[in-house]
Amino acid sequence: MNAKNMSRRKFLQTTSVVGGGLIVGFSMTGCSTAKLPIEQSDYGFVPNAFLQITPDNIVRFYCPRDEMGQGVTTGLGTLIGEELDVHPKDMDISFAGVHSDYKNPEFGVQGTGGSSSLRAHYIQLRQVGANTRALLVDAATKDLGVSAAEVSTEDGHIVVAGKRYPYGQFVGTAATLTAPEQAPLKPNADFRYIGTKFPRVDAIAKSTGTAEFGIDIDIPGMHHAVVRRSPVAGAKLKSVDKSVAQNMPGVTDVIEISSGVAVVAEKYWQAHMAAAKLAPIWEDVALAKVDTETVRQDYADAMKNEDGVSDTDEGDVEAGFESADHIVESEYWAPYLAHAPLETMNAVVRIENGKADVWSGTQGIVAAQGLVSRFSGIPVENVRAHNTYLGGAFGRRGTLTHIIEATEAAVASKKPIHLLWSREDDIRNGVYRPASLMKIKAGVNDDGSITAWHAKRVGGNITPKTLENMMPALFPGLGDGTIDFMVGLSRDVFAGWVVDHTSVEGLYEDYDTANKSVDHVTVEHDVPLTFWRSVGHSYTSLAKEGMVDELAEKVGMDPVEFRVRNTQNNPRLNNVIKVAQQRMQQMQPAEGRYLGFAAHNSFSTDVAEIAEVSVEGNKIKVHKVTCVVDCGIAVNPDVVHAQMEGAVMYGLTAALYGDLNLEQGAIKQSNFHDYPILRMDEAPEVEVIIIDSGTEPTGVGEPGLPPVAPAVASAVFKATGQRLRSLPLVVA
Amino acid sequence: MIEFTLNGKTVRTDDDPSTPLLWVVRDTFKLKGSKFGCGAGLCGACTMHIDGEASRTCVLPVSAVSGRNITTIEGLGTPDDMHPLQEAWVELSVPQCGYCQSGQIMSAASLLKNNPNPSSADVDAAMSGNICRCGCYVRIKEAVLSVAEQGLSYNAAEEIKA
Repeated sequence: MNAKNMSRRKFLQTTSVVGGGLIVGFSMTGCSTAKLPIEQSDYGFVPNAFLQITPDNIVRFYCPRDEMGQGVTTGLGTLIGEELDVHPKDMDISFAGVHSDYKNPEFGVQGTGGSSSLRAHYIQLRQVGANTRALLVDAATKDLGVSAAEVSTEDGHIVVAGKRYPYGQFVGTAATLTAPEQAPLKPNADFRYIGTKFPRVDAIAKSTGTAEFGIDIDIPGMHHAVVRRSPVAGAKLKSVDKSVAQNMPGVTDVIEISSGVAVVAEKYWQAHMAAAKLAPIWEDVALAKVDTETVRQDYADAMKNEDGVSDTDEGDVEAGFESADHIVESEYWAPYLAHAPLETMNAVVRIENGKADVWSGTQGIVAAQGLVSRFSGIPVENVRAHNTYLGGAFGRRGTLTHIIEATEAAVASKKPIHLLWSREDDIRNGVYRPASLMKIKAGVNDDGSITAWHAKRVGGNITPKTLENMMPALFPGLGDGTIDFMVGLSRDVFAGWVVDHTSVEGLYEDYDTANKSVDHVTVEHDVPLTFWRSVGHSYTSLAKEGMVDELAEKVGMDPVEFRVRNTQNNPRLNNVIKVAQQRMQQMQPAEGRYLGFAAHNSFSTDVAEIAEVSVEGNKIKVHKVTCVVDCGIAVNPDVVHAQMEGAVMYGLTAALYGDLNLEQGAIKQSNFHDYPILRMDEAPEVEVIIIDSGTEPTGVGEPGLPPVAPAVASAVFKATGQRLRSLPLVVA
Repeated sequence: MIEFTLNGKTVRTDDDPSTPLLWVVRDTFKLKGSKFGCGAGLCGACTMHIDGEASRTCVLPVSAVSGRNITTIEGLGTPDDMHPLQEAWVELSVPQCGYCQSGQIMSAASLLKNNPNPSSADVDAAMSGNICRCGCYVRIKEAVLSVAEQGLSYNAAEEIKA
């Protein structure tokens, strides 16, 4: 079947189902024979499409990425609306179901993360908008008997000789025509929505309590489940006396599941109270002998005694050190961290008549579908996955063990299950940002040139655990043995042969020197690890920027000037640093306040930050953070601004408070009293300067975070003379 | 059987009296705008008004609100008829993920009722019980202060909609 027939087939097929309206699929997958979701389900309407235009002119956009706060519905709606000539605020935006057309073009799977959404969809969704607009114009010329040259478009209308006709008027004719594959895209100068500020499209729903999160799903017959899990990751249930919970009010089932014991009750609070009565006994695992001090000692031993695996080796590092006027060497520490999104993990699973539904706010709804299929035995085509708003994610909602739990509870209890984690579950049973010990040794000449840079990191890797969690989800038909083999292989590969690049990203890239090397030593303690906002950059930035400050001090140069001098090979980063430098020169901090500076490239975006800090006693107070960012074209400058504000607060929480400790293998912290989150009275003013750019957009969700901690540390050094090389930052 | 007023209507529940008000409102009365965040009164996501005062409801047994007047985010305003604070929240694009915002807005409404002209420090003091993990604090404060500047009477606004 050729592409032309394919798109016709899709139009006709979907049109007949919705009873009118134009569905635009544009065969993103080419001539895939994959069945459309609409053919798979008798639950209603799930189009294989980004756009639907109804005869009464409702323009519906099926957003392929997940909304976790980053403004993706606004951003992607702007891309498609720009070319379609419909303001995103006038669109009806829904979350897409599972289909290969909704894959993230950057990942090849239907997932959201890595600050990728605008970058990955920038051309694709504009093309969908442009092709659809061209099709509507074509239909209008036929229906109105005018030439294309007489037709323009504006705000969801065809305009001819000053008269406006809603797009919906032409969808019947449009459905019989063939859409162009490559309608011309607007030049930047013609943009009406891209590059302008307007309120987020989800602001009303999120300000009135009407935005629906996973926790809010409520379906008939639904029961509530609470799970008791081992405090030490990976320990299986040995035994439990279920009777104490079984006889509690409202409790219908007490079930052993793969992660522990699930209590099912008519209401959440009943399940919560009954689960608290259980006293499960867990099997012993190696992790139960590990404290944070064990981890630090093991890392220190590895740093000293092991060469590790080479990630990068450019030029002649030894020769670079030999020729240096000075050599500086320092070690840096970053702890484990939890993401702590405000909405704890939850899922609703219903299994009925050989079909299943799952509702959950995830960073990859296809994985939710796969897990329900795998753990219920229902084929994927009979599992319908519904995405909701995500109450924060930051990488946490890529790991979906709560969906496994809800599925197991639904299968065993034969009831629709709403499963919810407590905050204590979230902090203690999660997946974590890895702890890291880093060492950087650098050579510098008196003229400020860096002669050599050697970085080494010791810690665990996120990729094997992520594979362990994702493979059963993405390949529900693959046997456990095969998955165990592949996960084990990845563990061995990253431990001994090649470096998991996320473990060292950001340690060495930004500054000029011909001689660079990076080594990595994997030391695992079976603590589950995963992506955490800005991933490796979240810890490597402190080491890299801290070392640059130390080198500048060594040769008596201003640290910002030192950065300008050493970023000649990175012109965009260099420009961001220079713009921030100019801004910093205008600042006149009050007495007792000091300015710290840091810069970092991550997710293809360059950010420089200036932190205005005072230190009273041993308390660090951050008054203001100025953030200069080059993220290519700012599709919605206000959303970029908001992401920088948010990343500063998230980064400050980590810089000032973030510490998660192991005690006999269990996470010691449990809730916001001992795992504090920055609050309003601690929040600095945030100034954001966005570099004017017409190039394709790069990431914004994460890149504001890495410079925060080193900028604050740099200011603390000016205030106290203390170099803080350990997170969280603590003044002695 | 416990009886109280929820957004202007009398309601009765036979939930266990020790059940926190949050869960009675969410699971029994199906109002989902108030959120669970910590279960320990530490984050403010569950904030409702009890006789007009912002209160943490994830730790408050429903027996404690017998005969009292409860307002949730649903009672403060609706998408078609927003409270001035909600309008300011939209105007300034305050929310990111949005999960904490019901609690934030309920705390802010209570603040303005008691103190129509708060200083920046007053806003900090009243709002620091509400965590926003996305870090929208700068905008939350701006929104609260912008509404205060309009000099509206929040007591009246709330009573009308409740």
